[in-house]
Amino acid sequence: MPHLVVENLTKVYERGKIRALFNVSFSVEKGEFLVLIGLSGSGKSTLLRCINRLVEPTSGRIFLNGVELTKLSPRAMRKVRRKIGMVFQQFNLVKRATVLQNVLAGRLGYNSTLSTLLGRFPKEDLRRAQECLERVGLLDKMYVRADQLSGGQQQRVGIARALMQEPELLLADEPVSALDPATSHSVMQYIEQINKDGVTVIASLHFLSLARRYGQRIIALKAGEIVFDGLPEAIDDRKFKEIYGEEAEEVEVR
Amino acid sequence: MKFLRVRLLSFILDLCLWAYLLYGGFTLHYLNTRWRPWRPEEKFVAPELSPLGWALVVLGILEVVLFTRAFGPSLGQRIFGVRLVGEGGGKPSFSQRWLYFFASHLALFLLWFDPERPFYERVSRLRLAPLPEPGTEGPGPRWYFTTHGLSAFLFLGLTLALGWRLTEIDLRSFVGKASKSLRIWRGLINPDFRYLFVPDPRIKLSFIDGLVQSLYMALLATIAGTAVAFPLSFLGARNIAARGPIGWLVYSLTRGFFNVFRAVESTYWAAIFAIWVGFGPFAGSMALFIHTIAALGKLFSEQVEHIDPGPVEAVTATGANLLQVVRYAVVPQVIPQFLAFTIYRWDINLRMATVVALVGGGGIGRLIFEYKDDLQWQLVGGVIILFMITVWIMDYVSGWVRERIV
Ligand SMILES: Nc1ncnc2c1ncn2[C@@H]1O[C@H](COP(=O)(O)OP(=O)(O)O)[C@@H](O)[C@H]1O
Ligand SMILES: [Mg+2]
Repeated sequence: MPHLVVENLTKVYERGKIRALFNVSFSVEKGEFLVLIGLSGSGKSTLLRCINRLVEPTSGRIFLNGVELTKLSPRAMRKVRRKIGMVFQQFNLVKRATVLQNVLAGRLGYNSTLSTLLGRFPKEDLRRAQECLERVGLLDKMYVRADQLSGGQQQRVGIARALMQEPELLLADEPVSALDPATSHSVMQYIEQINKDGVTVIASLHFLSLARRYGQRIIALKAGEIVFDGLPEAIDDRKFKEIYGEEAEEVEVR
Repeated sequence: MKFLRVRLLSFILDLCLWAYLLYGGFTLHYLNTRWRPWRPEEKFVAPELSPLGWALVVLGILEVVLFTRAFGPSLGQRIFGVRLVGEGGGKPSFSQRWLYFFASHLALFLLWFDPERPFYERVSRLRLAPLPEPGTEGPGPRWYFTTHGLSAFLFLGLTLALGWRLTEIDLRSFVGKASKSLRIWRGLINPDFRYLFVPDPRIKLSFIDGLVQSLYMALLATIAGTAVAFPLSFLGARNIAARGPIGWLVYSLTRGFFNVFRAVESTYWAAIFAIWVGFGPFAGSMALFIHTIAALGKLFSEQVEHIDPGPVEAVTATGANLLQVVRYAVVPQVIPQFLAFTIYRWDINLRMATVVALVGGGGIGRLIFEYKDDLQWQLVGGVIILFMITVWIMDYVSGWVRERIV
């Protein structure tokens, strides 16, 4: 059984009547590293957000471990979200809060509302936070305010927050687009390591060279539809121009 | 569709403008000649106009509107950022403008065939286009050579003239009767601090007693008001509360509550509570409390609506529920501004604490009003000076604190 199945997914944004996704179907095996590519506006972010239902799909079905997510009540969906980590292009940290507070937020779904409202987390979670920060090499920044960190460090905090959820699926929406090339690779390597530890990863990436380097499989979107689904090697010049348009040139991110 | 809306709205705006100019002009004329409120002995003669006269007035307004729109840009067109240009985008010629003017008289009958491009634009070979970016077409004519500039000038001038008449501004008494207020000023510069610490035997309150009472009225109202406004503000924030139909209802009700209760000034609340719970500081602090909830609630809600949505999205994605999202993604973003608003509100409440005494709110204001009624201007002076010093210190301190937290 595939880990994630997406069937005929369509999303139309009410505001502006924009069809962001149309009839998208694919499935992902457990432990796969899938990369989404496509021009900006092609629907990558929408697709990722439909999977954990931050965006409500218009039609179509999504299954995770055979459970139909698109049918779940909000409450049941929150339970499922705990197992789906997500990292974002703009990191989406609470800038005024400390690194530790940001990372602990990853455990909110596992703890009672009352105790978390009072700011209390079990000792177990504090220990886990230290572990996760150690994994991304930021243990010494635990009590630093998030806005004091560099972009690459902030994204690693974002990754640590996702790790706190002990995810089985990691969604990464252009995780390195706001970073310079060298930092990009270091962040991508953390994500790659998580994938090696058995977590299924779906990441959207802006540059094809990054996609080739890290993806085991690539799906390309164009105007909300899948125009390519296959191995990185299969994207030749013609396919590239079809995805990115005639004028595009492939650039390397070193 | 967009241009149809712009046409309609700018037309209505022009219509209102010229109707106002005409009606206001007549009113001004009347105020000057027939009805002079500052001469109550004169009899008021109501204006009269025959039905034909009214029809002519309405027609006249319409003509002026159409004319300014053809030779514009009229004020309405200017405000909506459009103007007439020739087919190729060039400047319209005189004959085209006249054609446009005459043809637009038939607008009502023929508009509906093609709302995107009404026939009077087609006949005159003109079209509405957005105004150019400033600077791309040279400096442009001076304002008194443009239709919209002159219209705006007329509008402001008429409004000032009407305002002058209607508020019964009377410079003669302002200057001539100034000596009457002299003893007040004299009292204020010779303040009497007799009852600074010793209670006034009649009112049974010393200045300090009144001041302390006012300070605590303001403190209580600010703290309690903030405590209520804080949770309510999330219900009144569109990005947090307005999810689904029930959410929209909650959001609208909360915002409605803020707006209605804020619109009623603290003084009126004090009058209401003075009757409800009796005259005194309790009525005053209740008034400040209610007004604080509404005013702070609205400011807080707007602050919540302006947060960075990223963290909300991220915390939601971890499986947190709405309360947890608010606590971990929203509250940390707004706390400094909330504090600043609260301190600012404390300033207002301290000042208002004296005013609500006017209608029975208690505190230091009560002293001012009692002494004023007894014409004891030196005592009034003493109280006011004490209060000014207090407000000045509070202003300074709260400004300093606010600077530190934002
Ligand atoms: N909240 C929204 N409301 C309306 N339209 C949206 C919204 N989010 C995205 N879109 C539109 O949906 C399309 C796909 O956007 P997105 O999924 O962000 O693409 P990508 O991530 O590939 O750049 C775009 O045309 C975008 O303008
Ligand atoms: Mg995107």
